[in-house]
Amino acid sequence: MNPLGEKYLRKSFLPFLFCPGCGDGMIVQSFLQAVDELGVADDLVLAAGIGCSAWIPVYMHFDVFKGLHGRAIPAAIGLKASRPSRKVVVFTGDGDGLAIGGLHLMHAARRNIDMTVVIVNNQIYAMTGGQVAPSTGVGSRTQTTPYGNLEKPLDGCKIAIAAGATMVSRWSTAHTRQLTKSFEKAINHKGFSFIEIMSQCPVQTGRYILGSGVPKYNLQWLKDNCVVTKDYSQWGEVEAQGKIPVGDVLQIEKPEYMEEVLKMNQKVKEEAKAKGGDR
Amino acid sequence: MKGAEKIIIDRRYCKGCMLCQSVCKFEVFEPGDERSALDYRMPRVAKIENCRVCGLCETNCPDMVLTVVAKTEGKENP
Repeated sequence: MNPLGEKYLRKSFLPFLFCPGCGDGMIVQSFLQAVDELGVADDLVLAAGIGCSAWIPVYMHFDVFKGLHGRAIPAAIGLKASRPSRKVVVFTGDGDGLAIGGLHLMHAARRNIDMTVVIVNNQIYAMTGGQVAPSTGVGSRTQTTPYGNLEKPLDGCKIAIAAGATMVSRWSTAHTRQLTKSFEKAINHKGFSFIEIMSQCPVQTGRYILGSGVPKYNLQWLKDNCVVTKDYSQWGEVEAQGKIPVGDVLQIEKPEYMEEVLKMNQKVKEEAKAKGGDR
Repeated sequence: MKGAEKIIIDRRYCKGCMLCQSVCKFEVFEPGDERSALDYRMPRVAKIENCRVCGLCETNCPDMVLTVVAKTEGKENP
């Protein structure tokens, strides 16, 4: 176990239940690296729904809770409302965050609540055996689309940008250093941060979609197909070539919801006092 | 020049995915015959003299089992 793991992992829960070569373990490590550099371990609360990627926070020795399938974001909003000083990070998968809990993602982004949502995109429903997911590419053969998928994939980053998220990034597990920097930015950012991580799943995506279950070919596929871009204007060009654009695309400032609530609370109290009421 | 003193592979948790071998540009690792506690074939540190302590194998290990210990000789604060 490397020193970072010795410091932050729950030893009694090890080994990870992830399959050999799964990208989720690399995300655990990137996240721990970011937390270690920022020194915010005591302020963190991690939340998760259901899925492979929802196991990521369980191994880390911070405050963790698991919600219903797709409903981790509303529960995390409730936690943020009652404890505004805590830094909330939600780990979801592509099925959990884009299909089952898709609307929760949009509405949390719309309200600009100070939290970080991490979507681990492995392009398939991996835990249940390889069914077609909203992020599966056109023409992919899965267990439920044996002759190729006809549906267009859903792009989580574009949904987050359109819904009003104030920080949006996409990286892959082949860019672990950049991912660590992105986690640091997202935890420090005041507002709704959204990070999508393209991850390899050798057992389901690898075998059924990419044609090889060997982890190193899956990681190589991510390296070959993810193109680093400087800003959002380059995304269309990269997508036209059939590649996946990655990079830090958006970071803006907007009023944060919980602060606005506290301000309004204060204002109403003062108004009532001026009128002579006893509120 | 930087070099590694030793590379520790935790045999309790290694799952033998061999990503360390694929990300290493200096061919430090090779498939070994020893089996880990989870009954997977583990990688073996074959050419430690090639190691430049870039840390890629550490950050790319999905089970966080790798530790690269750098040489400390010639440094003031090890």
